[in-house]
Amino acid sequence: MTPDAPGPAEGAEAESNADVAGRIRYLDEVMAEIDAEVRRRRASGDLPAGLEAELDELFLEFSPVGLQGRARLRETLSLVDGSAYVDIAVPTESNKMVGSYIKGSIRKGLGWYMNFIVAQIVKFAWSVSRMFHVVVDHIEVLEASMETHRSPDLPADVVPAADPGSAWWAKSAVEALTGVTDRVLVGDCGDGSLVAALVAVGVDAYGVDPSDLVLEPALDRGLDVRAEGILDHLGVVAAEALGAMVLTGSLQWLRPNEREHLVDLVSSRLVVGGVLVLHSTTPEGWASSASTVVRDLAPGRPLHAETWAHLLAARGFAVSAPEWGGADRRLARVGNGSADADSVNAAIDTINDLLLGPTEYLVVATRER
Amino acid sequence: MTAVHQFVPALLPRDATGDHTLALRDTFRAAGWESDIYVEAAHDELQHEATYFEKYPGRARPGDILLYQLGTSSPVAEFLLDRSEPLVLDYHNVTPASFYVGWEDHTTAKVTLAHEQVVSLAPRAVLGIADSAFNARELAALGCPATEVVPILVDLESEGGSADPRELARLAARHGEATVLLFVGRISPNKGHERLIETLWVYRHLYDPDARLHLVGPAVTPDYAAAVFDFADELGLAGAVHHGEGLSAGQLTAWYEDADIFVCLSRHEGFCIPLLEAMQAGTPIVAFDAGAVGETLGDAGILLPTTRPATVAAAVDRVRRDSDLARNLERWGRRRLDDFSPELTRQRFVEVLGRVADQVRVVA
Repeated sequence: MTPDAPGPAEGAEAESNADVAGRIRYLDEVMAEIDAEVRRRRASGDLPAGLEAELDELFLEFSPVGLQGRARLRETLSLVDGSAYVDIAVPTESNKMVGSYIKGSIRKGLGWYMNFIVAQIVKFAWSVSRMFHVVVDHIEVLEASMETHRSPDLPADVVPAADPGSAWWAKSAVEALTGVTDRVLVGDCGDGSLVAALVAVGVDAYGVDPSDLVLEPALDRGLDVRAEGILDHLGVVAAEALGAMVLTGSLQWLRPNEREHLVDLVSSRLVVGGVLVLHSTTPEGWASSASTVVRDLAPGRPLHAETWAHLLAARGFAVSAPEWGGADRRLARVGNGSADADSVNAAIDTINDLLLGPTEYLVVATRER
Repeated sequence: MTAVHQFVPALLPRDATGDHTLALRDTFRAAGWESDIYVEAAHDELQHEATYFEKYPGRARPGDILLYQLGTSSPVAEFLLDRSEPLVLDYHNVTPASFYVGWEDHTTAKVTLAHEQVVSLAPRAVLGIADSAFNARELAALGCPATEVVPILVDLESEGGSADPRELARLAARHGEATVLLFVGRISPNKGHERLIETLWVYRHLYDPDARLHLVGPAVTPDYAAAVFDFADELGLAGAVHHGEGLSAGQLTAWYEDADIFVCLSRHEGFCIPLLEAMQAGTPIVAFDAGAVGETLGDAGILLPTTRPATVAAAVDRVRRDSDLARNLERWGRRRLDDFSPELTRQRFVEVLGRVADQVRVVA
């Protein structure tokens, strides 16, 4: 729609409210089309994930505070080294011959004194410089040591393909997110089934998944999905840019430091009032249902629902009671006909609680601050 | 007789604050008031228009109202703090020091001092006049007892004039049919020039491989300017970024008229006069919603919630492809200019300061 708003040259005295409202609606539509164009470009691969962050980082290299990490340390250190030497050979050139003579005489006369002072300054500066070298060397040894403790990534081909849209918790997730007006991110979105379900109820949803192969059905359906891990993606999302987030899949086997980082990113990328829907296997369910290879090679282990509630509450989230689901392997209680029924049922309850409870849970949390 | 004397750190020709101060002085005199300009420094061309502020005590009269054009740090602020006359601030905003940290120590110190002076002056003033509601909120938050929003006095028709035809021809010959993005403003870290370079890169990558970016404005933060142009070199855009500086009014109008789209990705603006200049030239505007940009632009342009290059590039492409949209933006821009007409602004200043003068008389 293009409103035909009269301009001043056309003699309009004043605009009506309808004219103004029509113009605002028109510009909103244009903005929505611009957003859709960006999403389309991202989905098509024209705009690789992280491209904008790479451009920002490249610019930082030209800024006075731009170098990062080890390169910045070494660069700064070379500046310290370069400044540690004090030259006492004062220039004596002058436009006038007498000027050069006077300057030369002063230099010669004060040379012994300057030598004495400068020797101490240089000694101090080199000691400081030496100290920085020792610190930087030590940091690099520590970094190398940490690298040897790094566990390998879980091979993508052993991870089962995700289909969150048909999982038991999909209905609850869609209900929790219906009505969210800001963008909604589905992590580990797999074939895009949950993204499609959210889009169908009017939610501006998109997804990421580390495996580009599993995304093909979603791309075929024209959904906005990108081949990225959740941590990489959130790293380039602006603060408070998302209205809600769904976390599932690889969330369960993140390393402890990655999990901490993820929680930090989630709490900063969601708007205040934003919703987090978190699905995970229980530790017991993981032990019984995950494949042997995944259990052996996964760098981390799933957490209990109570632990997630604790972590999220500490970041300012209000957390709902978990919804339990997945395979229910609990043993049935025996009838009351037997004389030993009570003691047998007590034993069954204990076994159920400790080993055979629900294998999965869903937590919905709202960012309050 | 009402007397409103203005104090301004520097009175400069072809400068927004300088033009505003001179136009206000003429407005007050036309209203039958006494009005002089006191400065810390004045350009040679304008020496005859101003008096050094240190001379004011010898000329002070009961009932004087002092109007301070506040936009930077100056000893004038300390001087006014010690005066007993009713003080009115005309606040043009001070760029936060955080933008300069790491780039330029002396500017960081200068704007920090300016902010400290605003903090001291705001509660001392009887009224704060602000170019924008954004600036008014800042003044009120610092304890200014009353604020009024009155735009900066800018007479685009008499200042800009018509475009220099030789400059127009020269620019057109350089870029042919390529899309030209334009930004006008000093090259300073709060203006977001690096995002303009990133936008150009993405726009060329996705939409028009020959597109160009024209930047007009002095490189007031040399390290930042060098970083911006080195960054452009690194991205292979050296030949696509064209910098103009020290342009005459006719040449500047030519740069506006030559451009396809005016793109403003500034992260902090207290008003943003270049938006009005773009409207005057009929150049469609795409701008990031920061500071007072949204309220100055109104709905006469595409207002973006982000400076992410992909979104900015898509917005530029949308305007470039949709001639109806471009025409509408041009038309709405010209209409928006009516809200900032010099006549209206002059009336508002006389009305607002007239009320202050009435109060001063009642108290006396």
